[in-house]
This record gives sequence, structure tokens and C-alpha cells, in this order.
Amino acid sequence: MSRPPPLLLSSEMALIPPCKSLHLPLHLHLPLRLRPHPLTAALTLALLWPLTAAQAQTATEAELMRRLDSLAAEVGQLKAQLGALQQQRDGAAAAPTTAPASTLPAGAAAPTAPSTAAAPPATVLTSYAEINYTRPRRASQNAQADLRRFVLGYQHRLDEQTKIVTELEVEHSVSSASDPGEVAVEQAYVEHQLTPTWALRGGLFLMPMGLLNENHEPAAFFGVERNFVETAIIPSTWREGGVQMVGQFDNGLTLQAGVSTGFDLNKWDATRTDGAQSPLGSIHQELALAKARDLALFGALNWRGVPGLQIGGGVFSGGATHGQALASARITLWDLHARWTPGKWDLSALISRGNISNSAALNAVLNAPLVGSATLIPKAFDGGYVQAGYHLWQQGNYALTPFLRWERFNTASGYADLGPGLTPPVRPAERVVTVGANFQLTPGVVVKADWQRFSQNRDADRSSVGLGWSF
Amino acid sequence: MRTAISLGAIGAISAISAISTLGALITLASTATSAFAVDYLSVDQAARVVFPQADRFEPRDLLLDAAQLQKLAASGLAPRSARWPVLLAWQGSTLLGVLVADAVIGKFELIGYAVGIAADGSVRQVEILSYRESHGHEIRLPAWRRQFVGKTASAPLRVGDDIANISGATLSCSHVTDGVRRIVAVLDLARRSGWLPA
Repeated sequence: MSRPPPLLLSSEMALIPPCKSLHLPLHLHLPLRLRPHPLTAALTLALLWPLTAAQAQTATEAELMRRLDSLAAEVGQLKAQLGALQQQRDGAAAAPTTAPASTLPAGAAAPTAPSTAAAPPATVLTSYAEINYTRPRRASQNAQADLRRFVLGYQHRLDEQTKIVTELEVEHSVSSASDPGEVAVEQAYVEHQLTPTWALRGGLFLMPMGLLNENHEPAAFFGVERNFVETAIIPSTWREGGVQMVGQFDNGLTLQAGVSTGFDLNKWDATRTDGAQSPLGSIHQELALAKARDLALFGALNWRGVPGLQIGGGVFSGGATHGQALASARITLWDLHARWTPGKWDLSALISRGNISNSAALNAVLNAPLVGSATLIPKAFDGGYVQAGYHLWQQGNYALTPFLRWERFNTASGYADLGPGLTPPVRPAERVVTVGANFQLTPGVVVKADWQRFSQNRDADRSSVGLGWSF
Repeated sequence: MRTAISLGAIGAISAISAISTLGALITLASTATSAFAVDYLSVDQAARVVFPQADRFEPRDLLLDAAQLQKLAASGLAPRSARWPVLLAWQGSTLLGVLVADAVIGKFELIGYAVGIAADGSVRQVEILSYRESHGHEIRLPAWRRQFVGKTASAPLRVGDDIANISGATLSCSHVTDGVRRIVAVLDLARRSGWLPA
């Protein structure tokens, strides 16, 4: 038996025709275990340069690849011979680290390339972005084009067990004192794999709640904008600082649990409408000098034991006044969700509900002058949606997936009693139907279009188109 | 509501004790870890798992010629390489099949996997050799890998078609599935050209 030819040398890699690194065979883009002998490298160059130069105009790329592989084999043999000569010359007594295939015991499998022991790239740059155009049907003067978000990130692996994950986001294109943009660190955490099952994550991380928050890249969800329930009820992109354990079990269960920072009800501004649009989105802290007297506990359990099926839920609960208000309050949020992708279908459903305890006392203390006329702190908010997508058409990398989503949400489904005439009426639930399609240009690039109809605020009816990418 | 009330009783003291418990768990876990197992199987082990009846494995290099590479490209598969090191699984003089080990990038990390192809060209088994991504470990589950069994070069072998996705791990699923499709096609070309021994 002959041993497979060794890996290509770095001098050869320089002559490989340009192509996407993800599509290169492993032996073309991985670091080498052995440094090329200078003589081997020179031979390689001498062999390859005239060949590639002379035939570049006639040979196809495929033919060149075949020849390169063939030459790689020859170079490998030369290299082995050189190594043997070197050993003889030096009289090296040390045994080779790997036995030749011909001496392997019968039945033993010689390792084939690619070797999974080879080191993958330590640092990976990532990015995603969304550029949207929205046109309200009845108020076209409010049509808007926006670079919704542009995110750069990296993952750097420090060792086999430890990696750093970061994302830096710019919203609305420009951030300055006179512009609406915002720059934010979306993720910055260290993950350490303790065992094959358990990992420990510490830093600023996305909260494991709902279907979208941890998978929020534009190609991962239907519609130009993220759905309302996972924006208004579950704030996305929702991140907190803390530590969490992540357990991934062989039965398909994933358990996440930890301790983190939470919300700050002292930020509630009853004179603004932010709290009515997203109660938790208006008081999140995002680890920016976050008040941290009151910590929160959170947990999420997801089961993916059947291909295409995900069933799970999450819960978060933590104090939100941090000893800075006369009354203390706790915020609790939970969700249940399911996603099923049988064949060409992509079906999902989610419900979520949040509660703010002691909201009557808080409104009396924080918002006394505004009681009865402003955006008071609700005691409950909730929502849910069902969604169906269908992979209608695919040709090569092009793919078209129409979808339909129905959602209902209420950012103030209940107020604590403040007395007759003072307790605000429960806000009517908004219902939104979204019809649209995602068109995949190539994996990682998506063009979206949708139309949305609102049951309460009919002026919000709108059509949107968007371009997104992620890698 | 009940959940809120029960969780509402948990205060900062509980949070601190939870941190302590986590710390204890971490200590226990660290001391219990003897080996880090993102590498679940070696190629050798995968070969024995996929072809347990084999009494020997023969390493060979499958070299595709230009016409075969063009056929692959025409079918929408990036050829990647003209040389494919494979293991032939033998039981006596009978060829049981071929094992091909490969790696693809999931979202950030390399995923090592091996595909066992039976002598008739159908997928016998897929094994995940290594997985390092934070999400999508479920591609290691037998239920997900079983979807490939019996598929041939005539099958779509695409996520969202005959292969179900894992929610939250779309890229890992898609890239491994694409890799399996490529290997099945390469072996199909080899079989049709008579490269594989009878």
C-alpha cells in the first residue's frame, strides 16, 4: 500500500488559481505540518512556473487543478526521498512520527486527507447588514430608506477550548451628535468548552429567548423588518452582561442558564412613546454603565431531537429598580416557541408574555405628575405569531421563499390599578398580517419584499423592500 | 401570574448563590475533563464504524480528469480538487464501499465529517468527526445523519428539500449537506468510469 501524497507546499499554494477559500479542498488552505524544504520549494517553483506560464492560455482551470494535484504528489515523493536522505546523512536514530502505510498492520486505515487534526483558521471575520426601504401606504411622505444596521464581528479561537466572539454594530449609517445613528457592541464574550457537553460563556452575550434573538442575521428571518413580537415584546437584539452555562446533550436538548444584568426601570420616560412601542426595549441597559445592584436569572431549554423540529422556551427574571426608586420591581419575561421545517415548508410559532411587578407603586412614585395622561409602566405585555414559508423555487443558488405571518401583540395588555379615573385603559392588541418573499441571490445574500397590514393603526400599513447579507 | 410570583421571590441573594453554584459546577467540570472532544472520531475510527465488517482498508487516491471535473462543475458542484484520497473497505475480496473524509466550514469553524458510500453508490453512513461551532451540535445526532442513508447521486441532497434543517444551524447543515452531495457525485463519477474495483 502506498501512503497518500503529503499536503501541498506553501510555494505551490501561491500558484493556485484564485477561488473561494470556502470551496478549496482542505489540503489547499490549511497550514502545513511540515515546513517545506528549501530544495523542495525550489523544485516546486521550477516545475510549476513554466508549466503554468506556458499553458495558462490553453488549459482549463480544472486541468490546472488536476496537474497541480499530480505535481503535488510528485513533490511529496521527492520530499519523502529528501527526508530519507537527510536521515541517512545525519544518522538520525529517532523513529519517524508516523509509520509508513506499508508497515501498518493489516486492517488499519491510514489517515486520509483532510486531517481533522489540522488547525482551522484562528480568526474569522464576520459581518451582516440590512438596507431597507419602507413606504407607508397612506402616508407616503414618511417613506424611508435606511441602512438599518451594519455589523462587523470576529471570532478568535485562542485554543481548542476557548474562543472570543464579538460584534460591533452601527445602526442608521452615521452616528454623531446630529445624526440618528448609533454604535453599539452587540456581543463580546469568551466561551470556554469545559466538557464535550458543557461550555461556559462570560461577557456581553445575546439572551436565549425566542427564535430570532440569537439568530438575527437577515438571511435567517422572513420579512424586511424583524417580526413585531420579537421586537416589541422580546427586545431584539437583546443582550446582557453575565455568565451562562450552555449544555448540549446527545438527546437533542440544549440547556442555557445563567446570571446577568437586567433592565433599569428608572429609565422609564412616561413623556415619550418608546415604552409603548417596546416596554423592555426602552429600558434595556446593554452593559453601558449598567446598573447592576439587581441581577437577573435566566434559562432556556430547546429540543432539536427530530430533524427539522425545534421546540423550546425561555424565561428571564430580575429586579429592575436597583435600589434607586422608592418602590422596587421585578421584570419577568417568558416565551414558548416551535419551528418545524418539513420538506419545503418552514413553519414557526411563538408566544411571549412579560410582567412588571409593583408597577402601580412605580407609576405613583416615578410618574405621579403624568398619571392619567402619558405612557405609564404596564404590568403586563404579550404577543404571539404564527408564520409559514414555502421554498417555492430554486435554481442553482437562486431560491425564492414566499411567506405569510400573522401576529398579535400588545405592549400594555394590563395596568395595575391606580384608582378610578387614573388607571389607563388597556391598550387594544395590534394585529399585523405580513405577506412577502425572501429571494436568496446566493447563500448569504437575500433580497426581501413584503406588505404589512395593521388592524389598529391602519396608517402604518406599508410595503417594504430590503437587501441583506451575512457571512 | 404564578411564574412571576415564584420567580419574584428570588432575590439578589439567590443570584449570588447561583453564581456560587455555577462556580462549583465549573470546578467540578474542569476537574472531570480529561480530554477535549470536539474531535469525536478519527478517520480510522469512522471507517470501522461505517464498515464494521471490513477486514482491511486500502488507501487510494481517486484522480479526476478534466472531463470529470467539468461534469461536476456543470452539475453545480465546485470541484474543489482533482485528487480525492479515499479508503476502500474490503471484506476478503469483496469491496464493501468507500470512505471519504472531508471538512467544510460551518459558520465559523471547520466541521470534519466522513461519508461512507456503499459499492452501489448509495450513502451508507455519515459520521461527524469534529464539531466546534457554538450552535448546531445536533448535526451529530443519528436522527439528522440518518437522512442521508440510501441517497444516491440522483437525490437532491439539499437542505430544505430532502434534508431537514436544524434551526439555528442553517449554515452548518447546508455546508455539510453540500459536502456530502459533492462526495456522492465524485464517487458516482468514479464508479461510472470503472475506477472502483468490482
